[in-house]
Amino acid sequence: MNVAADVIDMKTGAPRSAPVVDIRGAVKRFADLTVLDRCSLSAQEGEILTLLGPSGCGKTTLLRCIAGFLTPDAGEILIDGKDTVPVPVNRRSVGVVFQSYALFPHLTVARNVAYGLKMRGMPAAEIETRVTTALATVSLTGFEGRYPSQLSGGQQQRVAIARVLVLEPRVLLLDEPFNALDAKLRGSMQMELRQLIKRLGITAIFVTHDQEEALTMSDRIAVMRTGKVEQFGTPEEIFDRPANAYVADFVGASNFWDGYASGGRVVLPDGQTVATGLSGEVRVMIRPHNLALRPAGPQASSWTGTIRFRRHVGALMEYEIGLDGEHGLRALALRDGSTASLAAGDKVSLTLRDAAGCIVFPRS
Amino acid sequence: MTRSLPRRLLDEILSGSGIWPAVPAIVVLLVVAVIPFAILLSLGFSEITVARGVIVSQDFSLRYLTTALTDPLYHTTFQRSLTLALMTTFFCVLLGYPVAYLFLIGKPWVRRVILVLTIAPILTSGIVRTYAWIIILGGRGVVNSVLLDLGLISAPLRIINTQWAVVIGMVQVHLPVMILPLIAVMSRHDRRLDEASANLGASRLGTLWNVVLPLSIGGLGTGAALVFTLSYTTFVVPQLLGGGNYLNAATMIYEQVVYSLEWSKGAVTALILMSTCLIVLLIFAWLTNLGTRWTRVAQR
Repeated sequence: MNVAADVIDMKTGAPRSAPVVDIRGAVKRFADLTVLDRCSLSAQEGEILTLLGPSGCGKTTLLRCIAGFLTPDAGEILIDGKDTVPVPVNRRSVGVVFQSYALFPHLTVARNVAYGLKMRGMPAAEIETRVTTALATVSLTGFEGRYPSQLSGGQQQRVAIARVLVLEPRVLLLDEPFNALDAKLRGSMQMELRQLIKRLGITAIFVTHDQEEALTMSDRIAVMRTGKVEQFGTPEEIFDRPANAYVADFVGASNFWDGYASGGRVVLPDGQTVATGLSGEVRVMIRPHNLALRPAGPQASSWTGTIRFRRHVGALMEYEIGLDGEHGLRALALRDGSTASLAAGDKVSLTLRDAAGCIVFPRS
Repeated sequence: MTRSLPRRLLDEILSGSGIWPAVPAIVVLLVVAVIPFAILLSLGFSEITVARGVIVSQDFSLRYLTTALTDPLYHTTFQRSLTLALMTTFFCVLLGYPVAYLFLIGKPWVRRVILVLTIAPILTSGIVRTYAWIIILGGRGVVNSVLLDLGLISAPLRIINTQWAVVIGMVQVHLPVMILPLIAVMSRHDRRLDEASANLGASRLGTLWNVVLPLSIGGLGTGAALVFTLSYTTFVVPQLLGGGNYLNAATMIYEQVVYSLEWSKGAVTALILMSTCLIVLLIFAWLTNLGTRWTRVAQR
């Protein structure tokens, strides 16, 4: 069901339903270091947005500006069309789940969840009902009287989520919420949290440096680098059509093969061609799963190398292949009979599986 | 293979096993605390005859204890000491906590300034600091001169040699002891909790009351206990700022032992001072424990 058509203003072409969060050219400097450099993003109603980038890219700073812990030096942060800059931190309808959860250690689970309601002067009886409901939502019924130190990491995270959800915030902000969890729990909590947020229809903004987490959780991803948004789009767009080599490299593993484009195409060593509008020196991005390996034999392609090492990645096997005079390429293959015999030191030939899956960037 | 006893003892001491590492401290405590206390106890509960500076006879007696417990002079003196100590503790909390809070929310340079200003007075002798108050609070002191020049008063106020002079001096001398444990707690305080509190709708005051204060009860309790102990048993400040006739428990002991040479009387007074101090400290500890119960919940 496509509703996009009737929310577009026919005169201006702008979406008629204003975004819940609208960040326009946010700038933040610490001393002479520019941490946010004219960031612009927007989150629509009920959307889960992720700010993805390495540490120091400004994603947490942006989150802290939205929450009101920091004030941007320039630009606007609008929530429901209203500028938030003059609104003090305790008056914003923004709930933050902190990386360390920041649960009050001296309060029980129930009183942690009740904290915000108490600050709003809600009558005790109503607080109790709401706390009970909120704890049921995150499956923590029966934990009311425990202290945070008596909970596991996953339970603490759920208390932190219940503590902000009980206030029914307009926007939910989550700062690397899965960092403190072990890998196995992380996966299930990601799915669970996404489903919960979707069920409640909350607009949420995540911060993470984990691309897999971003791809799992988000409706849209903003890939950030040194205070700038490099690309803002759906997980599919980010993964399949990265805007530049940085995004391609950061999201999903990538190989870069340097070549030369002419006549609207690049010819790869195995003879296949990739179409491009560029000409001259180019860099071709090839995902590891897009490279097929075969033991070098009579019918081998002209693209050959030696396996430097191989690594088990669950159901897949990852190979690092050394090429002559070039840096290595990574290839990812299903663990089946055709690759089982390949081991470090073997000569292999490479072929591209799908030329359309390659992206050509200018070489800078 | 069996080794000689001294050899085994030496091995144990050198390897730091068992109670051996604590032995030096235990010896010091025995010599400077336990033995003198036992002597004090025996003096307070006996009738002694001294001839030429040597105790010639010592017989068990409860006379000094019953006198002390029934004498109205003791009642008023101990009441005065208790009031003075509680007032000092109260004002130290009142003045010290905001400083510690400023330390918590302040920028690094503010923190450094607070630390220096807190520690610097400790490096000066309490007697010197108390003498300074004589100059400040005296009839022609700074306070009176300023008030007179401003025309707020027509004759110098009598501040020195009053209970208020003693309280002012005591608070100034003991304030660092209140602030330092608080700063120790504040420097471990997780500021994310304050942000979480603000994010959940609390004002600065709300966060202070609901998060910062409950989490600093430990420091508050330690500071208050230290200030109370020191000011309840203090001798110098009341002596200098109270004008010599300000009698509290410590000055009373001093007079009994040094002037009237009634050692048994002094010993009993000292015992009462110690035991009442201990009772108040136990109340403090109980209150602090109530406030920090959450730190002792069973871990998962």
